[in-house]
Amino acid sequence: MIFNSEISGQQQHTTSPVVTGGSVIALVYNGGVIVGSDTLCSYGSMAAFKNVQKIVQISQNTIYASSGEYSDFQQVVKELAKIDRSALQYDDGVHPSPKDYGNFLARLSYKKRCKINPLYLQNVIAGFHNKERYLALVDIYGTYLESNFITTGFASYFCKAIISNYWNENCTLEQAKQVIRECFKVLFCRDCRAHDVIQLAYVDEQGTHIEEPERVETKWDFNGFKSRANEKLHTQ
Amino acid sequence: MNYTDILTSKFEPETTGTTIMAVIYDGGLIIGADSRTSSGQFVADRCADKIDYVHDRIFCLRSGSAADTQAIAKYVRYYIDAHAQELGRLPAVATAANLFRNFLYEYKDSLSAAIIVAGWDPYKGPQIFTLPLGGSVIEQKWSIGGSGSTFIWGFCDSNYKENMTLQEARAFVLHAVAHAMYRDGSSGGIIRLLNVTKDKIEREFIDYKDVPVK
Repeated sequence: MIFNSEISGQQQHTTSPVVTGGSVIALVYNGGVIVGSDTLCSYGSMAAFKNVQKIVQISQNTIYASSGEYSDFQQVVKELAKIDRSALQYDDGVHPSPKDYGNFLARLSYKKRCKINPLYLQNVIAGFHNKERYLALVDIYGTYLESNFITTGFASYFCKAIISNYWNENCTLEQAKQVIRECFKVLFCRDCRAHDVIQLAYVDEQGTHIEEPERVETKWDFNGFKSRANEKLHTQ
Repeated sequence: MNYTDILTSKFEPETTGTTIMAVIYDGGLIIGADSRTSSGQFVADRCADKIDYVHDRIFCLRSGSAADTQAIAKYVRYYIDAHAQELGRLPAVATAANLFRNFLYEYKDSLSAAIIVAGWDPYKGPQIFTLPLGGSVIEQKWSIGGSGSTFIWGFCDSNYKENMTLQEARAFVLHAVAHAMYRDGSSGGIIRLLNVTKDKIEREFIDYKDVPVK
């Protein structure tokens, strides 16, 4: 939605997004939580920035990713890092848990939404704390939802069916990775703002692991695709 | 920037937000197009054929509203068919271009259609006519169109040469369309090429894995 910048006198940062990131998909598996996103930032309809890392480590046991305006994503990363730093100043060995980050982001998003100056993002926070898996979605209004699987953007339309059929919350890491790869294949075929190079990151007992970007394989050489050319109309 | 929030908007009309291209070489012409038809952010058809048959040696490349361009192409195909029957020989490419032009010009306020008419006839050989939004007709040696074309003007301006061979022209079209698909969100999928000469038509299907720029 486009927000009217004349409503409040102060400067509006996010009346409508300029540089946008694509869908994020996150799943819980038997040993932790895995998050996947593609590596593209679009400038309107242009695929402007192709090698962007949109999943970030926030702390030893928390990762953060989001879809929407990329500058807001970078701002949120800064805000979440501030929490970590100010917690260190208490010097009591207590670190923020993944849920603390999720809750902070929800409050921040809601505050900005009330001032009609939102962070134009759908945020995903994933973590592993006290042997428990944590996965939450915070949307543009500040709605906070904890769940076993999260999809943002276009993935909410296309990927929930794939996830329902091929994933369960106690699957292995490899199975969860395969499900996410399948989802991004579909997105690459059906979302104009998607890219086939994706990045996976997971949190488990050992900590956070952000993998190198990889390309997903999509199939285009169906006979039906080749022969549907308007050759049937040719007379010679 | 025109960003449509998919959560609150209805889907936009289907357009061939696209990359289309035609180039004359020494002996014929090469036509190339991507295969993505989009409805806003959704890819409605990922393997479309944007090279439309008008007559045996006349083709049109469509960009803009898919509905508008399909409807116009269907009319022009019919008129050219009747005309060719009466004529008893191959119709002129300029005739087809003019028939398209009449639609685009008379209904310019209601249509969103930009077309490239490309073909070969026995009177003037290979010809390309560009018909942009308002209904003007401009004859060119090479033409690019669609939303993806904005990204390859520099590439095309610097790489086009007169009197290329078939191989050079094919490589030129293939790489140009691939570069456009690389950057344009509304273009993508596979590349379809068509070689039009006096003697034959040759279609080529470039699979996604063979696209030179990804």
